[in-house]
Amino acid sequence: MAGSAHYREAHPLVFVITHWINLICMIMLAFSGFYIHYPFFDGFMGVARGMHFVAMYVILINLTFRIIAAFFVKTAVDLGSREVDTDIKNWLPQEKNRHQFFETVKYYLFLRKEAVISAKYGSLQKIAYLATVPLTYLMAYTGFAIYGPTMNWGFFAGGVDMVGGPMNMRIIHYFMMWVFIVFTMIHAYLANVYNFSPSKIIFAWKETEH
Amino acid sequence: MAQEAHGAIYDLLAVRGVSRRDFLKYCSYVAAMLGLSEAAAPQIAAAVEKGAKLKPALWINGGSCTGCTESMAQVDSPDVATVVLEILSINAFETIMAAAGHDAEKNIADTVAAGGYLLIYEGSVMTGEDGNTLLVNGHKGTDILEEVAAGADAILAVGACAVDGGWVYAHPNPAKAIGVQSFLDTVNIKTPVVNLPCCPTSPEWIVAMVVQWLLVAEDDPATFLAKTKLRTRTYRDTVTGRDVTLNYPEYVIGSTIHDNCPRRGHFENGHFVTEFGSEEEAKGYCLYKVGCKGPQTFTQCPITRWNRSVSWCVQSGAPCIGCGGLNWVDNNTPFFKRLSSMQMGDTLGNVQPGSVAAVVGGVAAAALVAHGLGMKAAGRIGPDGPPVETAKAYDRKRMAKKGGDK
Repeated sequence: MAGSAHYREAHPLVFVITHWINLICMIMLAFSGFYIHYPFFDGFMGVARGMHFVAMYVILINLTFRIIAAFFVKTAVDLGSREVDTDIKNWLPQEKNRHQFFETVKYYLFLRKEAVISAKYGSLQKIAYLATVPLTYLMAYTGFAIYGPTMNWGFFAGGVDMVGGPMNMRIIHYFMMWVFIVFTMIHAYLANVYNFSPSKIIFAWKETEH
Repeated sequence: MAQEAHGAIYDLLAVRGVSRRDFLKYCSYVAAMLGLSEAAAPQIAAAVEKGAKLKPALWINGGSCTGCTESMAQVDSPDVATVVLEILSINAFETIMAAAGHDAEKNIADTVAAGGYLLIYEGSVMTGEDGNTLLVNGHKGTDILEEVAAGADAILAVGACAVDGGWVYAHPNPAKAIGVQSFLDTVNIKTPVVNLPCCPTSPEWIVAMVVQWLLVAEDDPATFLAKTKLRTRTYRDTVTGRDVTLNYPEYVIGSTIHDNCPRRGHFENGHFVTEFGSEEEAKGYCLYKVGCKGPQTFTQCPITRWNRSVSWCVQSGAPCIGCGGLNWVDNNTPFFKRLSSMQMGDTLGNVQPGSVAAVVGGVAAAALVAHGLGMKAAGRIGPDGPPVETAKAYDRKRMAKKGGDK
């Protein structure tokens, strides 16, 4: 956020790398997914499928690693702070986030003038970042349910029956990709709305003072 | 032990122009479908021969187009499949039997009274208007099914309609058509049902299941179920509101059409037909882009094929329309689009998921641009950013309530 410094303690190198991996995998998954959904040029289906499956495994491993690392790596406790604590504590809601959800919504809807007090991340931000975890696993579930080698496993076949067949599962998988696309749009917008310092620290690991 | 197969059946076959060699060839083909080795062919022949005149069967039509009958009778000359089914001693088969009227009804009543028969049911069960949507000689179709199903050893539900209502079940389904298993669940009849999907069903699958009965069942439904490799699928029947569990033969729904498709190579290479009548179509490229539902359809059509294994839909140039799935019409229309349309009621009509997604994405992008302009206009974007509150609104209110200073 404008006004705060962006130090490396906010995003240690390991999370800069996992963020890069997430970004690259997401782009590969969305692109190859669109291609598999409707091949808009010839000669790429085998590669698109291979890309989709490789990126899928990488992003799942990366996500699982990111969650485990959250319990061991220390990150900044607040905006513009060099004081660190275990990352999971800063990822889950902090004391400063209490009672701030509706105030944050009001701020972004222009219903109040002053920006709200927030912890390392604001209330909305934390909800979004936490939701990506189950969403990614759910996305993987819907994908495995229509993936040749696993679609006949009872765990996935049961889900296919529940939603009324593999065609419906495909459509859910397709719409969920749009959830990620819209998330990414909002995420990139809100992160950089004041200035590009957040991008500098998360992509280039470059510190800024405001 | 080919010698075991002999006797009256060969005379019967000879009359129909089928040599013993043809018959054994067919038996080995059936063996392959049942997942047995070719060495099982003589046993199959023996079972079929033993089955002659032993296993009575009824072929009953419900709310059907007789397409499955047509599929069964598609051959231009008496076929081994026909013979095998004749030796099954089918006592009633509305479309093709000679008996009519009272005689036909008596055949059914006699078979039911004697018991120990197989029931082959074609078509949906029409339950609308209290069952009056299907009347045969004044009897409700539902009553007929109840009567013949209760005493049967086992039921083969043939064709998509008998499986879950098929295209009759598709929206808006005024006849309240449902599948055989779903109907039997509502009237609490426990006779085992084996479902053979597709519109129409494949005659070879019927033959394979009949032979399976003759081979392993020892006239006991429980043994038949225990010794037959089945796979279940569950769906929610929107007419009855119940969850229905269907038995399918494993060999029919074990893999997708896509996985056995002769055009699969073109799919992986990214060679697609974009429109019918094009050069790509002439080259036999993949039909994925013109709406093939093969990747979502679990049947072994590419292996058995149709019309004495001459060809099948995709081989003959038509994309799979997914008739082997459940609620297949609603789930797979439009047939020539990759995704099925979402049914959004009478006002919005049917909408492609891609259009919905594009609107959602477009609205989100527009909203963000508008929001950004708003942020700028509100003066929040500057070197120092917006002013930040000094205390939470919640705390300020609480303090005020307690009478403390703001």
